[in-house]
Amino acid sequence: MTALLERPRTHDAVRDLDRAARRVLLTNWRGHATVPAARLYPHQWSWDSAFIAIGLRHLSPVRAQRELESLLGAQWRDGRVPQIVFDPHVPDDAYFPGPSFWRSARAPGAPGVPTSGIVQPPAHALAAWAVHQADPAASRGRGFLARVYPRLVAWHRYLTTRRNLTGNGLMSVVHPWESGLDNSPAWDVPLARITPVPGTEFTRRDLNHAAAGERPTDTDYGRYVRLARDYRDAGYADSLGVHAFAVEDPLCNALLAAGEHALASMAAELGLDGERHRSAADRLTENLTTMLYDHAGGVFFPRDAHSGRMLRSYSIGGLMPLIVPGLPVASELVGTALGDRFRLRDACPLPSYDLSADDHDPGRYWRGPGWVNTSWLFWHGLRLHGEQALADDLRDRLIDRVRDAGFREYFDPLTGTGHGTDGFGWTAALVLDLLRTP
Amino acid sequence: MIRISCQEQLLPGRTLQEKYDVARDAGFDGIELRGHGGFRFRDRLPELRRAARDGVPMPSVCVDMPHFFAAFDPELRRDALEQMKSQLSVIAEIGGRGAVACTPASWGMFSRRLPPFEPPRSEAEDRAVLLDGLAELGEHAARVGAILALEPLNRYEDHMVNRLEQAVELIEAAGLTSVRVLADTYHMNIEEDEPTSALVRAAAHLGHVQVSDSNRLQPGAGHLDWAALLSTLDAVGYEGYLAVECRLRGEPAVAIASIPGFLRRHDARVPA
Repeated sequence: MTALLERPRTHDAVRDLDRAARRVLLTNWRGHATVPAARLYPHQWSWDSAFIAIGLRHLSPVRAQRELESLLGAQWRDGRVPQIVFDPHVPDDAYFPGPSFWRSARAPGAPGVPTSGIVQPPAHALAAWAVHQADPAASRGRGFLARVYPRLVAWHRYLTTRRNLTGNGLMSVVHPWESGLDNSPAWDVPLARITPVPGTEFTRRDLNHAAAGERPTDTDYGRYVRLARDYRDAGYADSLGVHAFAVEDPLCNALLAAGEHALASMAAELGLDGERHRSAADRLTENLTTMLYDHAGGVFFPRDAHSGRMLRSYSIGGLMPLIVPGLPVASELVGTALGDRFRLRDACPLPSYDLSADDHDPGRYWRGPGWVNTSWLFWHGLRLHGEQALADDLRDRLIDRVRDAGFREYFDPLTGTGHGTDGFGWTAALVLDLLRTP
Repeated sequence: MIRISCQEQLLPGRTLQEKYDVARDAGFDGIELRGHGGFRFRDRLPELRRAARDGVPMPSVCVDMPHFFAAFDPELRRDALEQMKSQLSVIAEIGGRGAVACTPASWGMFSRRLPPFEPPRSEAEDRAVLLDGLAELGEHAARVGAILALEPLNRYEDHMVNRLEQAVELIEAAGLTSVRVLADTYHMNIEEDEPTSALVRAAAHLGHVQVSDSNRLQPGAGHLDWAALLSTLDAVGYEGYLAVECRLRGEPAVAIASIPGFLRRHDARVPA
């Protein structure tokens, strides 16, 4: 906190924001897990829980442990950690697609609680290690790492084997919702091949809570439903034959690599050999850099697993490999972030998509606005690679943005206008982490 | 810094001054008094005034009687109301700004979980008695400048007010800001679905907090999530005392001395 107090920010303002962030986390807590937002997202979401745990550790280390344990408790036997764990007490039609769409109970190896069948970016190993570090004694007392480590290993194994669809050592996401950057322009090309399910065959729920102009179009939504339905009808089997959409994406693979480093630390803490995690991290870093890094662009691009073509779209996902320890192109990524496309020095949160692109839309879901979680990851990466001044500056501006606009889901990166739901879990959690990290 | 007080009977020493010396050395900030019936609390005024003059902080009194303001028996009820008014007056004089007198609706009078299961008074009659009592005590509290804190007890100790939301509902119906909710972590652990969620919902009416662990022993001896509880109290802006009311495991002086350090380890406040 000392560093914070040196800035022109009063103690009362810091304290009030810190308290308000904790009130959001308390309000969204459901006794075993935290919902991202009480109305729009009334269940447990996978990568939301990872980011929420990173903030919750400052409120209660035990509660942060339980957040991750409850998510991993819904892991499938094949190792996948589902994108959504549904709360059976919430009406089936509160969110689409709900439990009756995914029908997880019919899938082999699914847990007793209903879940969706797709996944989200693997931020969990990073989160689990951060949670352990917040209070190692409480973690050891509850056997937290001993409990979550084998599940995290199985989760990474699922992604690096079953999802290694091309065999070249990178995982693929098989649905835009799996990428975390749901509606990103990066997915437009591979998504265009998909025949949408007619809008008459499903009822969207997201439009009850947000303006249509900020959400995906009906046509894209129909494509999302098609992909999810095909996956379900194939019994959640993984192959290029099943997945009409399959993309090797830099964000997920970077989280995997960074996560293997976290698993190595956990293994050491548990008295196990971490070598296999260090070599997995090295392999992933090598594959990521040789296959997805574009030297001319100074950024990582996703690759279409079907065509083998790079999807040359400048999205925030392309900067996310900065979270990988020892990344050989870290300074190039920082350079790109400072350039006109992302304007690290003044845009905040970092835009989800190229500010200089004609189709940049500062209000539409993942097509321009900024999210706190990707900015937090970039902040984490800046610190990792010795860019302390840039990291501190980004942290200060993120804190100010949220203080001005509230704990919104996403923000116009230039004006700071808040969008989407309020009382958003990871915004509160990660701001709390920014406030409390020395 | 959170402020922590200790109930007087837990502290060694012949006088309040001696007790406070022990308490302060252990890291406590004040003493919670116990208010006996028969106007014995009022009769302690000379002693209490001397202690206050000597700088002993005594921000609250917790009632210690065999009958309470919502007793079935009208005479006992009347006596409890008079005792509580007297205790409010005394604590207002010696407790300083925001002084608190605590009472449950009743204690040990009836439990719906124990035979004969059905109380002799209907719920509607209970409610009328509670509202009448809160109105009378709340008006007196406002007059003397103190807070009456209504304490929900667990189901085995009282059949009328078990959860914070029940206390809040009565307080809102009474409509007096001089009546607030007392949150006791032990009772909450038994009665609330989620203690921290209950605190968030009751925040606007929260007037006092008593702490003991899940097993009624000193904080740290049970399984409550103190980090979550104390962070919640800070997040909702609670600025009163945490009054230690518990039984002790181990050598009493050692057990008592462990409490402030344990609680402050979980202090979630943003440092000044």
